[in-house]
Amino acid sequence: MKMQDSHLAIASVPFQRWGELYALDEVLNTGTVFKDLDLPFFAAADMQASRRVTGEIMKSSREQECSRKMTEIQKVSFVMDDLRLYLDTHPDDPDALAMLKRVVCKRKQMLSEFAAEFYPLTFECMADIYEKDASSMCYCWQEGPAPWEGVCC
Amino acid sequence: MWIYEKRLQYPVKITKTCPKTAQLIISQYGGPDGELSASMRYLSQRYTMPLKTVGGLLTDIGTEELAHMEIICAMVYQLTKNMDIEDARTAGFDAYYIDHTAGIWPQAASSMPFTAKEFQSKGDAVTDLTEDLAAEQKARTVYDNLLRMIEDPEVREPLKFLRAREIVHFQRFGEALEKTKEKLNGNNFYYFNPEFDKNMVWE
Repeated sequence: MKMQDSHLAIASVPFQRWGELYALDEVLNTGTVFKDLDLPFFAAADMQASRRVTGEIMKSSREQECSRKMTEIQKVSFVMDDLRLYLDTHPDDPDALAMLKRVVCKRKQMLSEFAAEFYPLTFECMADIYEKDASSMCYCWQEGPAPWEGVCC
Repeated sequence: MWIYEKRLQYPVKITKTCPKTAQLIISQYGGPDGELSASMRYLSQRYTMPLKTVGGLLTDIGTEELAHMEIICAMVYQLTKNMDIEDARTAGFDAYYIDHTAGIWPQAASSMPFTAKEFQSKGDAVTDLTEDLAAEQKARTVYDNLLRMIEDPEVREPLKFLRAREIVHFQRFGEALEKTKEKLNGNNFYYFNPEFDKNMVWE
């Protein structure tokens, strides 16, 4: 996209080009998968290591496993969220599309596994439970802690 | 149609009760530059956008803002769920307590209630997208201000995440404006309103 300097009296933002990405384990800390869009505030530079360590000790191994899997779902889902917005304005970008294909398939599988092992995160996941066990009498949509309780995270 | 997913976009786990902090960050729930205002702005503007893909982007960002609203509400909830009457009194949370106890209600840090007066849906693509660019910057400034004032790392981490999203959304709205400009009269972007003057040149 070339800059048209002849246009006065209107805002211009250069189109982002596909560039370096953050690894999956970093994306929640940076708030974007795109290194070019990571523009932190000076007063926000501090340690993140101490976070969420205190509560972990109190948890059972099953709760810890639930939290671990939830965090993985949050990371992959967030990459999907960020890619979706990029593709909304760059629908023909082959790199973004290739990555999206990997991410949505992986996410679907993770959601299905989480539903089987813990509780469904989407109503769609109920199908995974009934497909595995047609005689299931479980209406498990309301199982699991509310997201705002900070229990499984 | 919307579908709920039973998780937060970013994890919130706050162990220390602090009504004072809740009173500050509640601004990003119901305040002038808050997430609810952002979501309603984009979800209102999308219907009349001349470019279908821009309407789609507004849907996707408006939806993400709902997830951000949920993050903010989860933070306010966790900061106040175990407060006692002394906490409420000494933290300056007493007025809120009288009106809402520990319920979650959309208001600004200044206690002004959530209102649609804080945003526009003007029916002009250039105008609305320019407002959206400004809205993301205003929200970023609020997060900057909160990050200067709040020390608890369990509160700071989600705020940093939300701040980063404002910058990404700004970039996307900028790109949406560029796409809209491409379809307008390049000699004069203000020659007609693509949302109203539908019989004018619009490819």
